[in-house]
Amino acid sequence: MAIRANPHLIDELEKYGAQDVVKCYHCGNCTATCPFSGEVFVFPRKSMRYLQLGLDVRLQGNLEPWLCYYCGECSEECPRGAEPGETMMSMRRWLTARYDFTGLSGLFYRSAKAELLAIVLVALLTGLGLTLFGLSQGSIDVYDGPGAFLPASSIHIFDWVMAGVLVLLLGINCVRMWWYTMGSDKEVRIPPLEYLKQLFLVPWHFLTQRRYSQCDRKSPWAIHLVLMLSYLTMLVLIMFFLHRVQHGPAIDWRAHAFGYAAAAGLVVTTIYALQGRLRKTRPHYQHSHETDWIFLALLLMVSLTGIAQHILHRGGWETAANVLYVVHMMGVVPMLVLEVPFSKWSHMAYRPLGMYFSTLREKAVLAAEDPEKSRPAAAAQTA
Amino acid sequence: MNDECRIGVYICNCGTNIAKVIDAGLVRDRVADLPGVACARTYEYMCSNPGQEMIAQDIREHKLDRIVVAACSPRMHELTFGNALEDAGLNRHMLEMANIREQCSWVHDDGARATAKAADLTHAAIRRVARHEPLEKQEAPYTPATMVLGGGIAGLTVAVELADAGQHVHLIERESRLGGNVGRVDLTAPYLDSARDILAEKIILAESNPRIDVQLRSTLTDLQGFVGNFQATVTHQDGAAQQLDVGSVVVCTGYREFDASRIERLGYGKHLDVITSFELEQRLRAGKLETADGRVPRYVSIVHCVGSRHAKYHTYCSRVCCMTALKYGHEIKSALPDAMVTDLYVDMLSFGKGGEDLYRRTSELKTMFLMYEKEDYPVVRAAEKGDDCGLLVQVEEKLSGETIDVPADLVVLMVGMQARSDGADVARTVGISQDRHGWFIESHPKLAPVSTATEGVFIAGCCQSPKDIPDSVAQARASAAMVLGHIARGKVVVDARYAQVDADLCSGCRMCNELCPYTAIGYDPEEGRSDIQSALCKACGTCVAACPSGAITARHFTDEQILEQIEGVLAWRSSQP
Repeated sequence: MAIRANPHLIDELEKYGAQDVVKCYHCGNCTATCPFSGEVFVFPRKSMRYLQLGLDVRLQGNLEPWLCYYCGECSEECPRGAEPGETMMSMRRWLTARYDFTGLSGLFYRSAKAELLAIVLVALLTGLGLTLFGLSQGSIDVYDGPGAFLPASSIHIFDWVMAGVLVLLLGINCVRMWWYTMGSDKEVRIPPLEYLKQLFLVPWHFLTQRRYSQCDRKSPWAIHLVLMLSYLTMLVLIMFFLHRVQHGPAIDWRAHAFGYAAAAGLVVTTIYALQGRLRKTRPHYQHSHETDWIFLALLLMVSLTGIAQHILHRGGWETAANVLYVVHMMGVVPMLVLEVPFSKWSHMAYRPLGMYFSTLREKAVLAAEDPEKSRPAAAAQTA
Repeated sequence: MNDECRIGVYICNCGTNIAKVIDAGLVRDRVADLPGVACARTYEYMCSNPGQEMIAQDIREHKLDRIVVAACSPRMHELTFGNALEDAGLNRHMLEMANIREQCSWVHDDGARATAKAADLTHAAIRRVARHEPLEKQEAPYTPATMVLGGGIAGLTVAVELADAGQHVHLIERESRLGGNVGRVDLTAPYLDSARDILAEKIILAESNPRIDVQLRSTLTDLQGFVGNFQATVTHQDGAAQQLDVGSVVVCTGYREFDASRIERLGYGKHLDVITSFELEQRLRAGKLETADGRVPRYVSIVHCVGSRHAKYHTYCSRVCCMTALKYGHEIKSALPDAMVTDLYVDMLSFGKGGEDLYRRTSELKTMFLMYEKEDYPVVRAAEKGDDCGLLVQVEEKLSGETIDVPADLVVLMVGMQARSDGADVARTVGISQDRHGWFIESHPKLAPVSTATEGVFIAGCCQSPKDIPDSVAQARASAAMVLGHIARGKVVVDARYAQVDADLCSGCRMCNELCPYTAIGYDPEEGRSDIQSALCKACGTCVAACPSGAITARHFTDEQILEQIEGVLAWRSSQP
């Protein structure tokens, strides 16, 4: 059955940041230089081809963009300046939009204005809501204890409700990702037991980013890992230990030691990434999409307001601390609500899932190609 | 007879080329005492100046009248030693070479047997040279007027170049206008300059030059004579014929395009919106690019290699289609900026000056390139209801391994070049040959690209093989230079070696007439005898062997000479076990 070529696909991807794809003439230098390109998943050349030929069905079911960490060696080796690394990056954006059932993701990626508008809107709603809520709860001059403006117990509930909604949204998108890349493909059949056996790969890749560490260049992985772990630590503190970190004026070092380390990690890595993108110090910092800037700006703003709020509170400026708290939340809420299910941060789910699915596919494909390999496995099942 | 001769025999070592296998001294000793041999020597390099000087000195001192050089192939140095003989006062045909390098030392490693063979070959040469006779070259005047067949870009260029050099030209064109196939093209690749502009200048120059006699709707129907002295008959469409005396003929008869309807799956002739590259050129020239039912095409699909590089049609590459297709990418995009252009190719052969740049620029215009397997043409079918295009082109895309339907409102077939069907008539009339594809054959593919087997007849442009405008013009100017060289020399020198008919023996069976590869043999109906044009004859010997009456003799290749050679080569063999 022939697939229809969509000659407009490149135009579409260009809105997601792809550039110079048309220059590629398939010499394969990119694939030869990529340390991750293998037998079953051959990239980036194949993805470049799907894109050039407008095979959106193939591109939509393609896991390869999630296997690329944009070390940028392919773009450096490319004799035509076709930017395969940046193309893989824009394919990840496009895939994120495809997985998203609401259509918001595509809207935000294609239009920075729309995303900024949404951020401002959610920020204003958050600010207004929290202010009204705070005033109804207590006094803006009280940070802690009875009559507190934004008591930890209330915020805690709010956090969990928000987390629940976000996990649901992202979960639906993850199911769609599974359907496009695995479920809808009748050619490759993967037994449910195999899904269970390899499930450990998801947390494993999520926590270690093992594959990223296998790139020839190690420092991007280190930076990314510090950023991710800092963020994760902060998330755990907020979701499970909010009462400990919010209450003052005493400092609960068992929680705060982690908090300070995470805050430092967030600020340092965010600034590093920002200045890297500004100065274009590394291959993967050469081309910055609007969403990259928005993401980093929000992260830095949230980190700095969080730190400021903490200092003000411990310093006894409770009114100012409450104001900063609202401002901080005006950054946190849009960042999480918009980035996690619809934009850049969704990759925290798609990447480990990509590793997981690709491992399953690879095993299935290799087994189908070589019956010798699959026989002992089949024998083991019957025994 | 040998006893009356004074033969000098020279055996060359050729450095180690001959000496490493053959003992030249032994060969010398074996032939030194043969009848007629006045002196025999060996030397390191006979072809060197001291080597040639040695021969000249011996000729003077020993009063030698015949020379045998046992060395390399005569193709290598027969001319060299012939000149040496002439310088020393001997006729150049009193020389015979024994090839003991290419045909002996290079192909054998048994020294003793190779030396014996070298001695046999030298012996044969000695026996043969004894029968040689001095032969003189003939000379004839060279008519400066030139006939150019075909008024395309090549023919126009030849005509204008010759006329500019002050020579008279008859430009014969079968159609009613000058310009040929370039006249059917809109812009040219890779620089997108107008074909019309290129051509108009040449046509004006040709038509306005009093030294160029343009004859439209005319063909060459007969050509008699030989180099420098042709008598041509040119016949007009209305039947009027005229005789022209010309010294040279330059054939620039061009090509015709492949008939795309031969490839059924491409849908040419079935779908109105499947058109050939020339039909697209026509629309581009008219400035109106639309589908058969008058819509503006949104998708244009270009298919390469139609009729080219295919075992069933033409195996060769037509050389211009890739660049032309890339050019279409530009032209279509500039006419219809919203149109999507897809380009279905086998291999992108956009070689040469500007070719790669054109490919890059066309890629940057977002032309979609799809690679199909050679000989596996895409299939064109009507689109289904609800499709946003008129046609679908199904292609097995090689670089992705996918079967893809490409949307198209207009499908352009890059039809290749093929030899004209009247090529055989032209070839027969002017005495040149065609290869298996029908292209006219040049004397040497690298070193004599515009000369032919018939002296004074040259070829230029696409009648020789597919080529682009720059290559056609280069060949045209090369032909003009060849013609001007002949005219500057002012005379034709005819080789002394040619076949002759003994009129008394000839029975007029005409068997030789059809056999001659150089169409050198005519027939005189009044006398009832065949007659050989010595200027056209290359002394190949075909007619000599074929003549049932033994009436034909090739000068310098007489039966006597060849039999002596055979006797010589077998002389010692017969006495061996």
